[in-house]
Amino acid sequence: MRALCPLFFRTIATVALAAAPQTVSLEGTPVDPFAPPAKVRVFVFVRTDCPVSNRYAPELRRLSGEFAPRGVAFSIVYADPAETCANIQRHTGEYEFPGTVIRDPSHVLVRRAKATVTPEAAVFSAAGELLYHGRIDNRFVELGKAMRTPTRHDLEDAIGAALDGRPQPEAWAPPIGCYLADVE
Amino acid sequence: MKRAFLIAATIAAAGPVESGDITFSKNITPIVYRSCAPCHRPGEAGPFPLLTWADVKKHALQIVDVTRRRYMPPWLPESGYGDFQGTQKLTDAQIRTIERWVREGAREGDPADAAPLPKFTPGWQLGTPDLILQASRPYSLSADGPDEYWNFVLPMNLRDTRWVKAIEIRPGTARAVHHANVLIDRSRSARSQEVIPGSGFPGMDLNIEADTFDPDSHFLFWKPGGIPWEEPEDMPWKADPSTDLVLNVHMQPTGKPELIQPSVGLYFTSQPATKFPMLVQLEHDGALDIPAGVRDFVVSDDFTVPMDMDVLAVYPHAHYLGHLLEGYATLRGGSRKWLIRIPDWDVNWQAVYRYEEPVFLPKGSVVSMRFHYDNSDENPRNPNHPPKRVVGGNQATDEMAHLWLQVLPRGTADRRRELQEAIMRHRLDKYPGDFSAYFNLGALEMARGDKEQALVNLRSALAARPEQPVALNTMGAALLSMGRTDDATEAFERALRSNPRYTNARYNLANALAENRQWERAAAQFRQILDETPDDAGARQHLGEVLRLWGDDLAAAGRMEEAVSCYRESLRFRADDETLHNDLGAALAKLGRFREAVQEFEAALRLDPLLDAARRNLQSARDVLHRIDEQKSGR
Repeated sequence: MRALCPLFFRTIATVALAAAPQTVSLEGTPVDPFAPPAKVRVFVFVRTDCPVSNRYAPELRRLSGEFAPRGVAFSIVYADPAETCANIQRHTGEYEFPGTVIRDPSHVLVRRAKATVTPEAAVFSAAGELLYHGRIDNRFVELGKAMRTPTRHDLEDAIGAALDGRPQPEAWAPPIGCYLADVE
Repeated sequence: MKRAFLIAATIAAAGPVESGDITFSKNITPIVYRSCAPCHRPGEAGPFPLLTWADVKKHALQIVDVTRRRYMPPWLPESGYGDFQGTQKLTDAQIRTIERWVREGAREGDPADAAPLPKFTPGWQLGTPDLILQASRPYSLSADGPDEYWNFVLPMNLRDTRWVKAIEIRPGTARAVHHANVLIDRSRSARSQEVIPGSGFPGMDLNIEADTFDPDSHFLFWKPGGIPWEEPEDMPWKADPSTDLVLNVHMQPTGKPELIQPSVGLYFTSQPATKFPMLVQLEHDGALDIPAGVRDFVVSDDFTVPMDMDVLAVYPHAHYLGHLLEGYATLRGGSRKWLIRIPDWDVNWQAVYRYEEPVFLPKGSVVSMRFHYDNSDENPRNPNHPPKRVVGGNQATDEMAHLWLQVLPRGTADRRRELQEAIMRHRLDKYPGDFSAYFNLGALEMARGDKEQALVNLRSALAARPEQPVALNTMGAALLSMGRTDDATEAFERALRSNPRYTNARYNLANALAENRQWERAAAQFRQILDETPDDAGARQHLGEVLRLWGDDLAAAGRMEEAVSCYRESLRFRADDETLHNDLGAALAKLGRFREAVQEFEAALRLDPLLDAARRNLQSARDVLHRIDEQKSGR
C-alpha cells in the first residue's frame, strides 16, 4: 500500500511539535510507535542520504523475514525534520526497507533509543524497555573501512536474545554511520 | 548537549585555528567547492550533494569526522614522498577551520562572502567525444554482498588507425562504480573470456595477450571526481581497427540492485605520437604466499634502469591485505629519490598519480618496490576471517604486488624495445623458465628481424605453456617469414586448436595456405573470419585475392565453370578490378557465354577505357554475337 503524502506536512508537523514532541506517521499524523502489540519491537534509524544505512536494506529485509513471523515488529525511522514525505516514500520503495515507516522529526524516539547515527538499531521489549541499541553488524569498522562479509550479527543476536528472554550479549562496539545530530 | 560533547572529543588534539567569526560563506565554501563538490554534486559519485550551506550542515559532524581521519577527500600518498598533480589533501588548518565552524554552530553567514561556485560541466567533461563506446549489455549488480569486479569488452570498430589524446569514462551509475581501468587489447584476446559474446567477464585484474610489439604506454584510469587526463600533444596512443578496449570496473553494492552500463568516450588527434612512453611494471606476485595471521609480510622487486629516463606517473596496486606501499629509486651515488609512499593502502581509492615534474632517473638507478601486507585478523579489510593463506592472483581474495611507472626514455629515438628487453631479462631472473619473459623476448627479436633467435625463445616459452595460442601464432609467423610454410601451417593450426576464435592465427593460417597455393583451404579460412567479423577489411581483401588467383589456376587448367564462379565471388571484394572483369569475360567467352562476357568487358572498360585486352576481347565477342545473330536471321 502506498501512503499519500499530505501537501502541507511541515505546517502540520510544526503544530504537532508545539503541543508535545512525538513521532508521526509518514503522512504526518501522530503515532505511538509502542502502541501496536508485539513481542519485541525493533527500530532502525535511517536517512535518505546516508549510503551506510542504504547499504543495510537487504540485511534488514533478511532480519524482518526471519523475525517478523515470530512476533517482532520492525519500524524504519526517519529522523530528519527537513526531509519530505515524497522523498521518504521514494527512498523506502527504492531500497525496499521492511516494516512500517515512522518519522521522528523532534528526535523523541532517537533519545529514547539512545541512537546516535544511521543506521542504528534499537530493540525494545513488549513492555517498552530498551534491551539493545547499536550497530546491526560489524561490516563497517569506520566510515569507508568495511569488511568483505560481516562476522558478527549484533542485531540478529539481540533480537534472538530478546525473544528467548536471554540476557543481551555483552560485547558492544559503537555503530558506524551518519550522525543523527546533524539533522536535529 | 550532544553536539557539543561530540565535538569536544574530536577537537581536543587540534592546535590553533584562525580567529574571528567562522561562517560557511566566508570560510567553508572555498574548501568545500574545491575539495568536496567535484564528487558531491548531482549525477556524480558522492552519495549526497555538498553545494549549499543546508547540504553541508546536514553532514557537518560527519565531515568533521572524515576529514580529521583524512578519509575524505580520498588521497592515499603521504606528503613529502613525491609531488603529484591534483593533490586532494586538506591542510591541517583547513581541517581545524571545519571543526571550529561546526563547534561554533555551523552558521551560514553572509552569502555575499561566499567563494564563487565552480562551473561544473554535466556529462562529458571534455565536450562531445569523437567516438563513444558503450557496453552492449549492462551488468546487474546485486543489492548486497561483497564488492564486484567486472570486465566489459568494447570493440572499437575503427576503419583506420587513429591517435587518441584522451579518454573519458562515464560509469553509468556513478554511486556504485568505485574506479575503472581501460586496457588496450590489440589482438582481441579478451573476447575469448566471455561466455556470451558482449556479456563481459569477472575478475579484479586481467591479462591481455598481445602478438605484436606495442607495449602498454599510458594509464587509462577513471576515479570519481577526476578530471579526464589529456595526454601531452606529442604522446597520444594508437588505436588500430582491430583494437578492443577492455573496461575493468570495481563496483560496490549500494543496498539496491543496480544496472551498470558504462561508456567510454574517445578524443582523437590528427597528430601522431613523436614521443613513446612505456609502462614499466615492478612486481613480484610470485613471492606472494602470505601465511594466515602474518601481520607484516614484505614483497619486493628491484629493477636497474637501462637508460636515462623520466618517470611521468605512478600506479601502485595491491588488493585488500596491502598496508604500507613504498616505491623509490636509489641513484648510483646511493641517494634515494622517493617515488611514492602510501602508509595506509585502500584499494577502494587506488589511483594513478602523475608527477608535478617528471622524476629523472639516470641510467643505472635501481627502482625498488617494498609492499607490506597484513594478513592478520586485526586487518578489517582482510577478506578472510579467520585469516587464510593468501597467494598471488586476479580475484579479490588473492593478492597482488604491482608498482607501475609510466616512463619516457631520454633522447629522441623510440627506445621501448631496449627497455622491454631489460624488463624481460629481469623477469627471467625472478622467474626462471617464465613463459611471458621468453615470449616477449621472442616477439622482440621477431620485431628486430632476428628470426632464428626469436624461434629459440618462442620454443622456450612453449616449453612453459605447450599449447599457448599466442606463442604458437608468433612462432608460425616467424616460420612463415623464413619460408617454412608447412611448419608455419602446423603452428597456426595448433594455435587454432587452442583458441578457435583467434582471428590473427586464422588469418595467418589462411596466408600460409595461400603461399602454398592451397586456394580452396585458404579461401575457407578467410570465409570463416568473415563469418565471425564481417567487416574485417584485411580478410575481405585477401579473400578477394585468393579467389582471383584460384580462378586463374582453374582457368589455366581449363576448368572454366569453376574459374567463373571463383572470379564472380572474387568480384564481391574487388568490384573495381578491371583485369578481373576482363579475365572473367574471357572465361565466359570460352564457355560460349558471349552476352555475359560482353558485360564484363564493358565493365572493365568503364573502369579503364584504355585497357587494350578488354577492348580487343569486347570487339571479338561482339563479332561473334553479330555472326550468331546473322546466322539466326539468315535461317
